[in-house]
Amino acid sequence: MKSIIDFFSSVKLAIFLIIIIASASIIGTLIPQMRSPQEYAARYGQISELLIRLEITDLYHSWWFIALLFFFSLNILICTLTRLSPKLRRALKPNLKFEDKTLLAAKIKERFIKSGNLETNRAELNKVLRSGHYRIKQMKKDSEIHLLARKRILGIFGSDFVHLGLLVILIGGIISGFSGFRANINISEGEIVPVLGADFQLQLDKFETEYHPNGSVKDWKSTLTVIEDESPRLTKTIEVNHPLTYKGFVFYQSGYGWDWDNSTLDILATKTSDPSSSMRAFLRLGEKETWEEENLEFRILQFVPDFIIDGNQVRTRSLEPNNPAVAIEVYKDEKKISEGWIFAKFPDFSQMHSEEEPEYKFEFKDFQTSQYSGIQMAKDPGAYYIWVGCALLMIGLFLAFYWPTRDIRFILKESEGKTEIVSAGRSAKSKLALEAEFTRILASLRRS
Amino acid sequence: MNESTLFMITFIVYIIAAFFYLAFLFSKKESAAKTGLSVVTVGFFVHTLALIWRTIESGHAPFTNMYESLSFLAWSGALAYIIIEYRYRIRKAGPYLMLIIIGIMALASSPLMPKEATPLVPALQSYWLWLHVSVTLLGEAFFAVAFVTSIMYLVADTREKKGTAKQGAISSEKLDSISYRCIAVGFPLFTLGGLVFGMVWAYYAWGSYWSWDPKETWSLITWFVFALYLHTRIVMGWKGRRSALIAIIGFLAALFTYFGVNYLLAGLHSYA
Repeated sequence: MKSIIDFFSSVKLAIFLIIIIASASIIGTLIPQMRSPQEYAARYGQISELLIRLEITDLYHSWWFIALLFFFSLNILICTLTRLSPKLRRALKPNLKFEDKTLLAAKIKERFIKSGNLETNRAELNKVLRSGHYRIKQMKKDSEIHLLARKRILGIFGSDFVHLGLLVILIGGIISGFSGFRANINISEGEIVPVLGADFQLQLDKFETEYHPNGSVKDWKSTLTVIEDESPRLTKTIEVNHPLTYKGFVFYQSGYGWDWDNSTLDILATKTSDPSSSMRAFLRLGEKETWEEENLEFRILQFVPDFIIDGNQVRTRSLEPNNPAVAIEVYKDEKKISEGWIFAKFPDFSQMHSEEEPEYKFEFKDFQTSQYSGIQMAKDPGAYYIWVGCALLMIGLFLAFYWPTRDIRFILKESEGKTEIVSAGRSAKSKLALEAEFTRILASLRRS
Repeated sequence: MNESTLFMITFIVYIIAAFFYLAFLFSKKESAAKTGLSVVTVGFFVHTLALIWRTIESGHAPFTNMYESLSFLAWSGALAYIIIEYRYRIRKAGPYLMLIIIGIMALASSPLMPKEATPLVPALQSYWLWLHVSVTLLGEAFFAVAFVTSIMYLVADTREKKGTAKQGAISSEKLDSISYRCIAVGFPLFTLGGLVFGMVWAYYAWGSYWSWDPKETWSLITWFVFALYLHTRIVMGWKGRRSALIAIIGFLAALFTYFGVNYLLAGLHSYA
């Protein structure tokens, strides 16, 4: 047991683990994470199977990386605990039984003889130190007074706060990993969706996209209502960076989309020989319409929001309505007469293939598609720990760097009506500042 | 007068300052270095105006694309240098830091960096942008100063050991201590801005405080390197050459986090 504790209390182990964890993390940024086995096979060939087996393809969640983090946590914990008790003793029960020669061995020290008896000098020293905001502990033994003056003692615990903060953050990470969940949902206006693992539902009242003058997206706003026990509880408009929180669940605006498959397409058919004779139809994908008088039938084959020809295949370049196009096929007297694409933005540029001179003109006038809001639902009970851990971490860094403990030890000895004063200052991190203060304090003591 | 004019003026003023520093380096005249420092200070004020102008013009924080963030990094570098110089009087570091700052300014003004202020994508519209980026870059600026003083340490140390150190040169001991002081400022700033504010913002914008995105991972790696610096120094008593080497590696890691990740690795931080 003791040897295990010794092993984990070593700073060398911490340094070793930091180097290993950092190196592993680097590998994780160089090899793309969580892709398909096919992609790895194409990229790395033979060794791809080995990478997958060693979980290097999902490195940060691999058993060995988590084991490293576990050992690192254990290392931090034991390192901190083994160093804590001497520090606590130093803070709470400081040793006042120091000797002249220890003091005189220090770097910052002074020794002089001053008139006045022991008690007068002790009173003077107390006054000077108090005005310098020092806390004082003293003890009288025979004709000697031992005095310890300290300030900012919390500074010695800086690193402990940092380590505690890191442990709390790591615990938060474990909690997030085990009980956090995340899901993306697409929700249309008016729709009500259940929230996984919660006893309430979510309704999208309104969704809008705001644009910058140059056409790029400025923001998405979704007005959400929480419905619990069939009655609305809370309504809030969320946008990117401003989520809704309810009962530990957080709802983020993560994006938007168009429900293209449920579009209603507005098609106008006109007789070429007589433009006043026309017919308008509102159709969905796959639906057909009949123009009785002409015995004409047309059907929607395909619809793309952003038409592009890729090789000899039509596909959509994006999910934005940049170039909406509809493929239709036309039958006259139950005989197919033409087939092709018509474009909403380019009415004169249709690509209808027919055998004869076209008798009818088809135009894609408009379309109606609802936008849906992309919402990310998350529940992450670990997050609270992260914030507490971060606060501890920052408090610790502040204490460690900017709250340097200073202590000054004094021995006062009376002999022949005079008092000999020996003193030494100690500060691990602000020697120069302490030296200046030490000189100042002793100078004002001499003057008194 | 507009932002790009102010930026060019700043650039020119920094170059003039660098000439004074070079003159100091060769002539050893203290007055040249003093003038250099005053010129840098003037440049810094013009630079501040340029950043304010940019903020008013674009309506958002002046670090949302590479051009802006490079300009801000150069500004932070100048600020860190001015602070360190007034505090510790390390004139010799001036010329080298000015070269780095001018390098950053040159990179920012290169035609490869689009300069027009574009409207912000939704994810960047947050006051966390201010906190996260400015504090992080300020921390990195102090790492840059530590990088320069660490390199100077290595040179000074070699000279002292060979006995070729020049009269009046800064002692290697002082350089070692200044490097530590810079890291003592940079490390808490980097932790607060890069990691803590980064996690808070990620939680509000992406719904997850940590996603092992390459930029996140590399800032953690940078943080580890400086943690290593502090532990080897404070607990194991390392000083001098080994400390200087870790500080140099740390700054290179920070540089890669800031710059390399954007161009070499893909991830969530696709803005800048």
